[in-house]
Amino acid sequence: METLKDYIYTMESCNSCGQCRFILGPKSKGREFVEICPIYSRYLYESYSGQGLINTAQELLEGTLGYGDELIKHIYTCTTCGACDINCKSVRDMEVLDTILALRAKCVEDGQGPMPEQRKYAEYVEKQHNIFGEDHDQRFGWLPEDTNLSEGADMVYFVGCSTAYLYPDIARNTVKIMHAGGINFKVMDAEEYCCGAPLWRTGQLAEARKLAEHNLETFTKQNVKTLVVSCAECYGTFKGFYPRIAELDFEVLHITEVIQRLLREGKLKLNKVLEMKATYHDPCLLGRLSELYIPWEGEIKAFGYHDPPKKFRRGTNGVYEAPREILKAIPGLELVEMIRNAENSFCCGGGGGVPTAFPDFSLWVASERLKEAEATGADVIVSCCPFCESSLSNAIDKSKSSLRYRDLTELVVRAI
Amino acid sequence: MSLPRCIYKIIENIVGPDNINDKEHILTAYRHWSPQSPQKPPSPAAIILPGSTQEVQSIVRICNRYNISYMTQTSLFGMGFPGPGTVILNMRRMNKILEINETDRYAVIEPAVRHVQLKPEVLKRGLNYPTASVGPSCSVLANFVASGDHHTQHGSSRVSRYIQGVEWVLPTGEILRLGSLGNDAGWFCADGPGPSLRGLMRGWNGWGAGLGIITKIAIGLDAWKGPRELPVEGHSPSYKIHLPRDCHRIHIFKFPDLDKVRDAMLEIGKAEIGFAVLKFFYATEAVMYTESANDFWELWNSGLYQKELSYALWVYLACWSPEELEYEERVLQDIVDEIGGEPVQESIRKKYEDNPDFFIMVSFLQRTLKLGGGWSPTKLGGDSVRHMFEVAKSIPEFFYDFIERGEILNAPHNFQIIPMEYGHMAHIELLFFYDRTIPERRQVTAAISLKSMETDIKHGYHAATPAHGKTMMEKFGPLWSNFHVWAGKIKDTFDPNGVSNPAP
Repeated sequence: METLKDYIYTMESCNSCGQCRFILGPKSKGREFVEICPIYSRYLYESYSGQGLINTAQELLEGTLGYGDELIKHIYTCTTCGACDINCKSVRDMEVLDTILALRAKCVEDGQGPMPEQRKYAEYVEKQHNIFGEDHDQRFGWLPEDTNLSEGADMVYFVGCSTAYLYPDIARNTVKIMHAGGINFKVMDAEEYCCGAPLWRTGQLAEARKLAEHNLETFTKQNVKTLVVSCAECYGTFKGFYPRIAELDFEVLHITEVIQRLLREGKLKLNKVLEMKATYHDPCLLGRLSELYIPWEGEIKAFGYHDPPKKFRRGTNGVYEAPREILKAIPGLELVEMIRNAENSFCCGGGGGVPTAFPDFSLWVASERLKEAEATGADVIVSCCPFCESSLSNAIDKSKSSLRYRDLTELVVRAI
Repeated sequence: MSLPRCIYKIIENIVGPDNINDKEHILTAYRHWSPQSPQKPPSPAAIILPGSTQEVQSIVRICNRYNISYMTQTSLFGMGFPGPGTVILNMRRMNKILEINETDRYAVIEPAVRHVQLKPEVLKRGLNYPTASVGPSCSVLANFVASGDHHTQHGSSRVSRYIQGVEWVLPTGEILRLGSLGNDAGWFCADGPGPSLRGLMRGWNGWGAGLGIITKIAIGLDAWKGPRELPVEGHSPSYKIHLPRDCHRIHIFKFPDLDKVRDAMLEIGKAEIGFAVLKFFYATEAVMYTESANDFWELWNSGLYQKELSYALWVYLACWSPEELEYEERVLQDIVDEIGGEPVQESIRKKYEDNPDFFIMVSFLQRTLKLGGGWSPTKLGGDSVRHMFEVAKSIPEFFYDFIERGEILNAPHNFQIIPMEYGHMAHIELLFFYDRTIPERRQVTAAISLKSMETDIKHGYHAATPAHGKTMMEKFGPLWSNFHVWAGKIKDTFDPNGVSNPAP
């Protein structure tokens, strides 16, 4: 797997152009909601940005900057939402987010990171295979007894820690939808371990790799050809992290993609009217960061020529249309867009281990997102990730917003 | 060089503890060695985030009292670099659009308002402003007070001519309000009553944060003949914008030689048609309209652009009505036919039709940096259209040497000439790319600038831009009528303590 030194080209190539901090120019609608980086928006200094973090990484590597508590906090405040990365890649061939993730991995390797609160992920995972330290035997406690599972199916529903333990309704609704669509699937029961997202994104790579290896081995043993997830973090991890461990020989689908297929094939009908004005929040790891990672080894030659050519993940082909197509298919539902949408979606504050280590900042980010959602005139904010649900619902509660949060699977079940 | 604690505390009392910082991990972003710079900048002593003109004024007075040099930065992507021990006033918190006056057609803004913010605000009101080729994330105010050439100046003018009322914190901390603003008469005019100071404040190229701090500015607005909102389809970086074809059309014509390009440019100006007319950089075009560096190389090595765009003219027609467009197209076609031009390959033109934001907000300008980040412009001067083309013809005299030595990309025609005000004058810019991974290549920027200036002097051409900074001015001043003597007098008068970005 790449280390920080593999991103020297990115660090040395940065011209401080500012693109990592703002949405794509033509997609702006005015003065408001144009900043894209949560830490830049909150802490104002340029050092708090994709550019700032790669500058920090470079100085750490070169030895002109030393570790300290404040530096570690600085590095771990980032939600790793990747908005900097995608906006940089709209104009450059640089790997801003991978540099930030490698920087965190270096912090861990040097015994400086992650934040103490984030170390618990690894401890809990070691004992219970989930990031909350909950009883592993209860991972599928949400599953109704009468669920019709097909043991011989090559499609698996991978539930994920956050859905299983905190938002089991998402799991139940996912199962209902798959049943309604006539899909044969199974679950992994005790063999399902955390996907590794929080460990990967806080730089705890050895532990993340162990989880990935376990899950990959299980997929092979169980002859899994299609993996369905209802969590954006799981989705982005399977597509963005697992290919760094081994080549994927199975398809990864988010439940929104499954529903989209069912609707297009006429296997699912959404008939019931849901009168609401909804805005859709694109989760980072389902949207801009959901493209398949393709390993690259080679040389960056003069004038930035990559030999052999490298396939960059620029966020162009994220899962943007599926959730929107579904929402538009629900009778009575009016979909209104926030300015920062799709690849330019503003983070909910729920990623990168930030809610655990910096809950106040996480809440601030989510509150900023709510302001944008409120500006659309919507009464419901919809997404399809338990981490987003946690952040946005928390912000709704704290700010006493009139907005309601709904997971997309809930709306689909209600509309069937 | 750190800021003495007692001074840090004084400034902290002005801006609040969250808005000044001198910690090493905060300073990293302000001392990064950009691949476009020949040398690594020294670390600033501290970063200050003032929130108002009064705070700026107070900080500047403190700097004068304690002999602390200061400069401003907003977008970072600039040409002003701090000297050792300098404090940087990052204007980030001063980011309000104070007024958009649709009747008198001006916008009043603070320093940290970006093009990505102001452009859509004015478009939605049916207005527009000349947008410097810097990219949407850059400060509008910074572009208007420094340099600021742009792709649509044929139908408008250089941005400096659009400056109206100005609020200026002088290097000593006094506040000067220019023009009508100084008489409490509003923001509509930067000149008079009385002599105008706009030239001193701005001149041709600005002072690189060396003559105080502009805290508010009014810029003139023009009519926008396009939709109130850009119709963007698709996702980054493959998005497209299709403007109504019955009123918007983009053409690129190739000609047998540079003289014909010039003649067409002059005739189009004489006819007063066209929103944008330019002889654009052909290699830069290839960099901007390809996704990756590898894509660029594939295109460049195909030779298509060298064949089609070495002597080409880009024309963007933006009209109120189909009838107006029809008229302009007929006039244009007559001119092109008469001078002997023909359309370039359709695939090239189509790129502009899919992404006309190149003209409107130069959305993806930063792709210019894609070849590893090593690039530099030179010349950047202005004079008559004819003169600029004479200058262009002299480029091979010094430029080929650098190409033959392999120090820069082989792109001898990578210069642009953009007329302004329908041809009253024009601007030239020669842009080159170098491989910054070879350390000594970073020095090529200074070498090319020097050779370029020597060539201008030899021919009596007026094409180079006076450099920022006392050292550079003294070095090159004698080449331009000793302008540095006057510049020095102005600097000494306005900045007696020499604290406003003394520059290296």
